[in-house]
Formats: sequence, C-alpha cells, structure tokens
Amino acid sequence: MKERGSTLLQKEGTKSVLASLIAILIGLAVGAIIILIVGIFNPSLGIKGALEGVQLVFGGLFSTGRSAAGALTFGFNSTNMGNMLFRATPLILTGLSVAVAFKTGLFNIGAPGQYLMGTAATLILALSIPTSVVPAPLVWVIAFVGGCLAGAIWGCIPGLVKAFLNINEVLACIMTNWIAANLVTWLFDNGSLFANLQNHVENTKTAYIYKTSFNGVQTAKLGLDKIFPGSQVNGGIVVAIIIAILIFILMTKTTLGYQLKACGANRHAARYAGIADKRNIVLSMAIAGALSGAAASLYYLSGNTEFYWTSAYQSLPAIGFNGIPVALLAASHPIGVIFAGCFMSMLDIVGLQLTNLTAYNEYITDVIIAIIVYLSAFSLVIRMLISGHKKRKNAKVQTVAATTEPLPADTPPGTPPDTPPDSAAVEEGGGEA
Amino acid sequence: MTFLIQQTLIYAVPLMIVALAGVFAERSGIINLALEGIMIFGAFAGVLFVRLMQQAGFYVDAKAAGDWVALQGFMILAMVVAAVLGAIFSLLLSFASVNLKADQTIGGTALNLLAPALVLFFIRIVANQNTLQMAEGDAASYFMIKKSFFGYGRSEEMGFFGSTFIDKTYLATYICIILFVILSILLYKTRFGLRLRSCGENPQAADSLGINVYKMRYAGTTISGALAGMGGFVYALTTANCASTGEVAGFGFLALAVMIFGNWKPLNIAGAALLFGLFKCIAASYTSIDINGDGVFMLAEIGVSPHLYRMLPYLITLIVLAFTSKKSRAPKAEGIPYDKGQR
Amino acid sequence: METENIIEMLHITKEFPGIIANDDITLQLRRGEIHALLGENGAGKSTLMSVLFGLYQPEAGEIRKNGEKVKINNPNDATALGIGMVHQHFKLIDVFTVLDNIILGAETTKLGFLQKKEARKKVEEISKKYGLSVDLDAKVEDITVGMQQRVEILKMLYRDNEILIFDEPTAVLTPQEIDELMATMREFAKEGKSILFISHKLNEIMAVADRVTVLRKGKYVGTVDTKDTDKQSLSNMMVGRPVQLQVEKTPATPGEVVLSVEGMTVPSHTHKRNAVNDVSFQVRKGEIVCIAGIDGNGQSELVYGLAGLEKCSGGSIQLCGKEISHCSIHQRGENMSHIPEDRHKHGLVLDFTLEQNMVLQRFREPRFQHLGFIKRGEVRKYAEALIEQYDVRSGQGPVTIARSMSGGNQQKAIIAREVDRDKPLLIAVQPTRGLDVGAIEYIHKQLVAERDKGRAVLLVSLELDEVMSLSDRILVMYEGEIVGELDPKTITVQELGLYMAGAKRTEKEGKGA
Repeated sequence: MKERGSTLLQKEGTKSVLASLIAILIGLAVGAIIILIVGIFNPSLGIKGALEGVQLVFGGLFSTGRSAAGALTFGFNSTNMGNMLFRATPLILTGLSVAVAFKTGLFNIGAPGQYLMGTAATLILALSIPTSVVPAPLVWVIAFVGGCLAGAIWGCIPGLVKAFLNINEVLACIMTNWIAANLVTWLFDNGSLFANLQNHVENTKTAYIYKTSFNGVQTAKLGLDKIFPGSQVNGGIVVAIIIAILIFILMTKTTLGYQLKACGANRHAARYAGIADKRNIVLSMAIAGALSGAAASLYYLSGNTEFYWTSAYQSLPAIGFNGIPVALLAASHPIGVIFAGCFMSMLDIVGLQLTNLTAYNEYITDVIIAIIVYLSAFSLVIRMLISGHKKRKNAKVQTVAATTEPLPADTPPGTPPDTPPDSAAVEEGGGEA
Repeated sequence: MTFLIQQTLIYAVPLMIVALAGVFAERSGIINLALEGIMIFGAFAGVLFVRLMQQAGFYVDAKAAGDWVALQGFMILAMVVAAVLGAIFSLLLSFASVNLKADQTIGGTALNLLAPALVLFFIRIVANQNTLQMAEGDAASYFMIKKSFFGYGRSEEMGFFGSTFIDKTYLATYICIILFVILSILLYKTRFGLRLRSCGENPQAADSLGINVYKMRYAGTTISGALAGMGGFVYALTTANCASTGEVAGFGFLALAVMIFGNWKPLNIAGAALLFGLFKCIAASYTSIDINGDGVFMLAEIGVSPHLYRMLPYLITLIVLAFTSKKSRAPKAEGIPYDKGQR
Repeated sequence: METENIIEMLHITKEFPGIIANDDITLQLRRGEIHALLGENGAGKSTLMSVLFGLYQPEAGEIRKNGEKVKINNPNDATALGIGMVHQHFKLIDVFTVLDNIILGAETTKLGFLQKKEARKKVEEISKKYGLSVDLDAKVEDITVGMQQRVEILKMLYRDNEILIFDEPTAVLTPQEIDELMATMREFAKEGKSILFISHKLNEIMAVADRVTVLRKGKYVGTVDTKDTDKQSLSNMMVGRPVQLQVEKTPATPGEVVLSVEGMTVPSHTHKRNAVNDVSFQVRKGEIVCIAGIDGNGQSELVYGLAGLEKCSGGSIQLCGKEISHCSIHQRGENMSHIPEDRHKHGLVLDFTLEQNMVLQRFREPRFQHLGFIKRGEVRKYAEALIEQYDVRSGQGPVTIARSMSGGNQQKAIIAREVDRDKPLLIAVQPTRGLDVGAIEYIHKQLVAERDKGRAVLLVSLELDEVMSLSDRILVMYEGEIVGELDPKTITVQELGLYMAGAKRTEKEGKGA
C-alpha cells in the first residue's frame, strides 16, 4: 500500500511539474509571437530584429553580447549566471511568502508592502547601528531579523482583518501595499526621522539611500564570486535555499504545518476539530510577511543595491508581485519555489539583454510572467488534460494491483461508490413497524 | 468650494463607474479583481486613439477651427474606443473563469499583471519613453468645457452653479453619471437585470429555469470590462492630463472597496464614491483646497506630512471595510465557477 | 393504450465519469395519474428526472410525449412541453421576492422592462384557485421551508405545466403539511395534470400514488399498481434483499447526567429572533436523546452552540460536571465527540488523506507527535487499525484522498474517528443523511452500541422513522425552543407532527431542573 501511495504522490508531482512546464512554454511562445508581430509591423525593427528578440527570449541567459560583425553571440556567461542567482534570492523568498499563504488558503498579494517594510527596517538597522561599536556580522543579523519582523508585522494586518472581520485579504493586502509605499517614503524623506540615511556622497540625484556597505555591513560572498566572476552573487542565495528547506519541513513534517494546511484546505473542518483557525490565519500571514521581509533584507544587505524612489512615493516593487508567479509555477511547493525563483530571475536577465542588445524592452518579460500567471489560474484544467492522456494506462495498472492484493476487495476508482457494508449482519427479514 | 466640488467629482465619477463595473461582474457571479488592469488598458487605448487621431490631423483641425462640439464628439469616440478595448480585454477573464472554471482571483491578478506589462511594452515602442501623452496640446485645451463656449467673457461670472458644474468641467464626467443611472435601471427593472442577478445568487436555480448562466456571466463581465475600460480613460483624461503611464495608483482596487462599502447596490455606491472621491481629492490637491474661501489653505498649513494625505484614501478604505464588512452581503455565488454537470 | 401515456421515457441510459447513473430505464406516465418513482439514495431517481427536465442529456434512449418523440435539450424545452419540477433542493433565489422568483425565466416584458403587475394578477389567481396563499412581496429567505415549497409549486403552475415532477417533496415538511401536499397533488391529478412523485418513503407512496416504478442502483426493477402491492414487497424491490426496518435495541438504562444545558441561547445570523432561545435539557449516560423537528428550527445552531462553533449569548452548559460555555472548541472536545451535520463542510478535510483526517483532533496527542513533529508511522498504524475495525473502504487505504471516497465511506470514516475518541458524550447530527439502507443500518447499530457502552448520545434527526425507532427520549424543537419532551414508546407520529409544527407544546414547569 505504501508503494501505491508514493507512486500516487509522484504522479501528482509530475503532473504539477508538467503543468508548470506547459505554462512556461506557452508564456514564452506568446512573448515570442508578440515580438514577431511588433517586428513585422514596425519597420524600424524588421524581421531580423524580431528574430533576434525571439532568440534572446529563449536563450538570453547564455547571451554574451554581439560579435564584431554585429551578430548575437551565445555561450556560458558567468556574469549572467551569477546575477541570475543573485536576483533569484529575493524572488525565492517572496515566492515562499505567497506559497505559505496559499497553503493556508490565503492569497498574499501584500508581498510588495511587506517587502517595503522589510526594506525600511533592514536599511535603518544596518545603517544606524555603528559598526565601530557592534561587530558588522552582528549588525547584519540584527538587520536581517529586523527586516523579517517588520514584514511579519505588516503581514499580520491583513491576516488580522481577515480572521476577525472577514475582510477579503486581497483587498486588505492591496491597501496595506499602498500605505507601506507612502509610509516608507515618509520615513526617509527630507525632514523625516531617517533623512540622514539619504545618500549625498555617491549620488547627485536625490531620494537615494546609502548602500549597507557604507556601514560595512554586507552579505558574505562565500566564494560564490569565484565561481561566477563578474556577477553580484553572494551568500544570500544559500540563506534563501536553507529557508526554503526549513519551510518545506515546517509544512510537511510538523503539527504547525498540519494545522496551517488544514485551515487552508477547509477552515470549517479545522475549526470543528478544535484548531484555532483565526490564530492560524494570522500566523500564516505573519510567516508570509516575514519571508517577504527576509527577501528585502537579503536584497539590500547584499551591499551593492540601493533603495530609492523616483516620484512622490516609492512605487510597489515588482519583486513582491513576482512572488505570485513563482509560487504558482511551483504549485506552492517550497522546494519547487527554488527552481521557479531561478526561472523568474532568468527572465529578468532576458529582459536586460533585450533592452541592451535590441530595440525591444524589458516589459516583454513582464508580459510573459503575466501569461504564466494566467495559465496557472486554470492549471487544474491543464492537469486534467495531462491525466486524461494517462487515464487508461492507470486504470489498467489499478485493476491489476487490486486483484493481486489480498486486501478486502476495494473499489477501484471508476466504479460506482457505496458498496453496502456487511450485509451478512442483516439476516432476519424484518417487517416495517 | 467650487474647486473642492469639481475636484471631488473628478475623482468620484471614475470610481463610481468602475465600482458599477464591479457590480455587473459580481452580480453575475464573477469576481472581477482585474478592474485595475482593465482601467490601465482602457486608459492606454483611449489615449493612444486620441494621439493617433491628432497625428492624423482630425483633432487638430477641429481645434484650429474652434469647433468645440466636434471636439467633444471626438472625446466621446475615444471613450467608446476605451470601452470596446476594455470589454475585449475582459474577455480573457470571462474565458478563464466561465469556460475553464479557473480561479477567478488568480485570473484577475494575471490581468492586473498583464495590463501594465503590455501597456508599458507598447508605450516604449510607440513613444520611446515610459509615458504616452497626447501628440500635441493638453487635455484641458482640447476637451474641457469652458464658459467661453456659452458666450461668457473672460471676466463674466456664470454664477455658482455654472462655475461649479459647467465651467472647466469635462463632458465625460456627466456621460458617466448618465450611464450610471441608465445601467442601474437596467440592473433592477429589466428582464436582463433580473436574470443577471439570479446568476450571481443561485446559478443552479437560474439554469433550471432555462437561463443560460454562461452567457449571462459573459454579459456581466463584458459590461464590466467596458465600463472599467471607459472609467480608466476618463480617469486618465480628467486627472492625468490624458496620459497613460501603465498605472492608475490602485484606483481599480479602491473601486472594489467602494463596491463592497456600497453593498453591491448602485445608490449606496454613488454615495460611497463621493466620500472616497473627497479623500482622493484631498490627497491629490490638499495644498490648493480653500474650504471656506478665506484664502487660507488650511490643510496644507496644519503641517501634516503630505505622505499622510496620500496614504489617507487607502487607510480610510481599510478602516471603512473593517466597520462595514460584517453587514455587507456579497452575491452568494460569486467566485464559484458554475459547472453544468454538477447538481 | 398508447395514447394513455402522456410521457414515455424509453430505455434511458445516462453515464457519469465512472458511474452509470441510469441503465436502460423505462418509465411511462399516464395522463392524470400520480406515479411514484421509488428507490434508495443513489438509485438514479433524480438523474432520471433531470434527464426528463433537460438538465442532462442521456447517452441512449428516447423520450416521447403523447406518443411523439421529443428532444429535451434544456429546461426551456421541458417548459415548452409543459413539464415542471419541484427540485429536492429548492431552486430559489434567497434575496429575491417571492414574485420575482415565480416570474424568473418566464417574465412578461415590454421593451425588455419587467411588467410585474400582470404577473402579479396571474399569480394571485392561481394561488386563490388552489388555496396556495403566499406573500408575494416577502423575500424567500424570510419565509418558512413549507412556504418555499409552495413558491416552487406556484412556479410550475405559473408556467401552465401539465406534467409536474416532485423530487422528494416531503423531506422538509411536518406530517400535517405532508397531508396538505398530498391533497393538493390529488387535486392536480383530478384536473388532468400528471404527477411524478419521487420518494423513498413507502407510507407516502402507498397513500397517494396510483402506480410505482422502482429503481435500484441505476437499474429498472419494475412498475406495479399500489393496490396490488404492499410496503414490504416494495421495500424488497427497492433494496433487493429483505430489510430490517426496525432497529433492535434493549430498553435504556440511563445513568448519571453527562450533559446539562440551562437556558442556552444562540443568536441568529439572518433573523432578529434567536436561533436557539432559552433551551434547557439533560442527557444521561446510556440513553439516546433525540432532537426532532423540521429543518431550520434551531437544531443546527443548538449543536454549534454545544460544540463551540457558535457563540452562545446566554445560559450555561455543564459537561461531566464542568461548566464549558466559555471553553474553546478544543477544550470541549476533551469530553465530547461530534459527528457533524455536514460531512463535507465540517467532518472532513476533503483534500487531506484518510489518515490525516483520522487524527484531525488527535494530532496533538503525544502518541502522534514529538516536539511538534508528526509521527508519520504512528498515524499510519492508527488509521489502518480504524479502517479495518470500522470497515472503511477506499481506493488506497490510509493515503486515499478523502474527496475520492464514496459518501457512505466518508461518513463511516467520520464515525470511526468520533466513536474511537471514546468520549462520554457523542453528538450525532443527521448521521444517515443521503446514505443507502445498508449504511443506515450500520450506523444505527453503532449508535445503539455506543449507548449500551454507557455513553450519552445526543442525536439530531429530521427523519421521523429514525427518531421513532432509535431514541429513548424525544425533544421537539420549534422556532428555537424545546416545545415538548416525549416518550417514543407512547407517542404517535401524528402527535409528534403537531409538536413539530408548533401546534402543540408542553408548558415548562418552571425553570431549573
């Protein structure tokens, strides 16, 4: 019976992976088609430009620029690879954030806000605590934990209003996003408490915050810069992967994970069984918020990224929203999130190559991402189509298994349910009273 | 006061019409989380149309001839274009949620991601920058109603009514109000409205009475898309000087909040939209609001950070939702895909 | 003979993925007769009627009206042929008025605008003619279930239907209301309307029907005249084997009080009055106390209040001598197990495996977890033991996803879990709803066995047969109050019905006790 169980799991797993791969392929194909159409109708780009664009969409990660003759060249590009891992770091974490909430039946579209709050807390802590007094690694830890906490608190808000006031968490998340966008700008704006953190040394532009490396606080490279020379990669990716594994253990092996999943799968039944559904909803959002906060922490603690706002307020960071497609692609599986995060950051690199090397711009990758999300919305249908192809084979396997097994003849799927139990117990034909 | 009323209307009317867009979708049983995205798309479509028409010379000629009636007609045309493209865009949502029985929240989110991405992609290619503006001139000079149209001189007064509701207003605002009334009647007094509402409450019952639930849901979502697309363009026209930037600052979500606050009923929504419009107006132009007309801009002089004013509409939304959510009553079947096979 | 049949359904076959719901079924309905369709839950009655009503398309077979072959693709076609149906689960829009519900789908309009005045006149005429009075401007959610059924009947009459299908119409009615409905049905038949009456209740069929067609597991068993048959043979036809219709049990020997409720009040979400109002009662060891009543009279809320799923606004609840009215659901669970009314909403996490469902309350126990880590092996062992002991059948044993199991086996899994928790009080709410006779017999036996083990059993049931045969004491609920405490050995069904309808009540002898 154990074997049957594990084959089932594998089957479900493969189905999810297949569904995601189909979504990715269709997304890339649509992106390529848009590029082609635009190229055909726009004389300045032309068919040649369009074909180059398509090449980059599929192979941008391995692009090495243009040759002297002006043709695109491809090959192993350590900068791209390293940068992909660097950019994947926050994406993996926001993806986990959305995935954990999904498992509890919540749609955490508030990751951008939580990310911003994490950003603010991390920057303030990392830049304000003097490294002359406190050792830099300790400051790093404090800033990281602070970022997680700030995100967790921000995630709690929609969790609380969802649990206790039954407000749609999507709407609450959106509102907290915009509140965070204004709040964070307010914190750093001229005349505010942390205006002194604005970078007036390096940049002539206003509204820039120091890099954390200004205070000597940055994530260790762990030798990754040797493997991927010329890139921004650092130890953050290792931290992100460790967190993903921890979340996997939390969700599958512990009573807390069991409770969270029970609340997500059927809140009523969880409540009936004495599981504190409201507490778990808030807890799930807090964990989700902490993960988004961690994403921001790792991104800004890298030491080579800087926070800025261009208009009157910080716009909502795409890294937050892109946690949604990461989680969807991974079917909310924490380990899957690692790979989905890498794929999404690869798309980022593709966007950069497109902007740098052709007349197209990076927004086409956002279109591809949106299409992947759209396809994920009916991944169930896709999965059904996949299993439709396999159904017959499985049915045969099932019946063989059923006949060889010395268990009480159970009903293989596909036969009418409700076999009456133990009719032997009713022997005497009674009459109705 | 005049300024306050005009500014409030400018924000309230798109909110109102987009909230009504939400009502049509949700009353038919589809959660339209994509209002924001459809607005972005509609705004882009309308602005692009205006720009192309200007480049083709039609609008510029009319303006040069001082033919303001024709210009208003062109503006209505742009609204129609935005509505049509909004409706087409919303078909993506209907198809996913009606035919493929997809998760409507995720489907809507996909559209919200898709709209800005597509729009910015095209704006970059068309305009080579991140904003798509009119080819020439500004929204006010082309499409605003001015007292000079009615023969008033520069220094002549139109009276409170005239200067508040006619001078320096947009016809689009009033078209939206009229549409709002007509569509509310459609929803409550006609066979179509009755059937649409039944699909959002109990599609099984509607089906058993021979009503085509799929068709009704398509109809509801398509009307929703048209209204949101038009609302997006009106928003861009009246508040952003007829420019498209690939965002509407969460306006579509505010409209959703207005819809919930208005309990899915048009009259309440109109009231809620005015309230939210006021807050949005304060957020946008608190520095130039002179409440009692004594030349003192009180809100600006209190010394509260502008960030707080900007935060206000969202904060208020959250608080208002907190207080009203217990009483609110959503259409019972919203968000649940209807499957004929299931009893 | 041919023209006598107004509707003929010939050799109908309808398949669903994995199940043949109707297998070569033939049904002939004569003009002006009341024709009963008898079968157990899941026998295919509703599917057959849905085919006739155009909700499903059959894979094989044909339908004839007045001898002519017809194609019914959707409910519109059915209505055009004069076929109307009162569904088991009413197809009403709660927030619409009665009038809007009646006209929906058959509206009179002018330029698309509703013309409600004409419609109102027509409805008023019909309701006067048949004595089916109802407030046309009331919202459906505010009227009683009996009234809602009246609205459904008016919907058919408004459409001038001549073939009327009633799908399990008596399940929600009091015995008196059932009598009224039967009279109305007979009147329709006298007028020449033809009636199809779906039921699994033999008494009603014998009382009102002219002929009976019996289905079993999707197959046609036979058609008989009611005057040529009796209940026992119908029952044998329906189940395919002799059925023990009476539960065997010894007289109860009640012991000490386990549950004592005093003045309990639970507010309602939809109405101003309380869902449960000032209710007091006790349940002792070794007895089955049954809460009887028409659906929606506060029974569900009473149980929710006891289990902690709803907040009580007043009163006290003592369980095993401990006040629990302010305890959490988890704390209450220490002395109470609960077979919930809705197995899909409360009873199971459908997307969890069977083994995960088996420890839904117990996963915190040291036996199943260590330092917050679940002991997979222990859970598996426990689930396998329960599955074997209670004969729960499923595709893949403990790792079966609960959703893929049959209703009967889902219910058995819940019963296994709740009974095995071994608590002094067992609450069972409609434990046999929607199950076939075999499963019902099994569950009844379990409940009696639990009683005999010395447990206090509180049973909520809507089925009068179940109430009469299983309980040791009956409490009748009407509009949120307990209006009578009755002895099943001395009370008649008719009298019980009067209590359920609120026409009769025993006065409280002062508060307390």
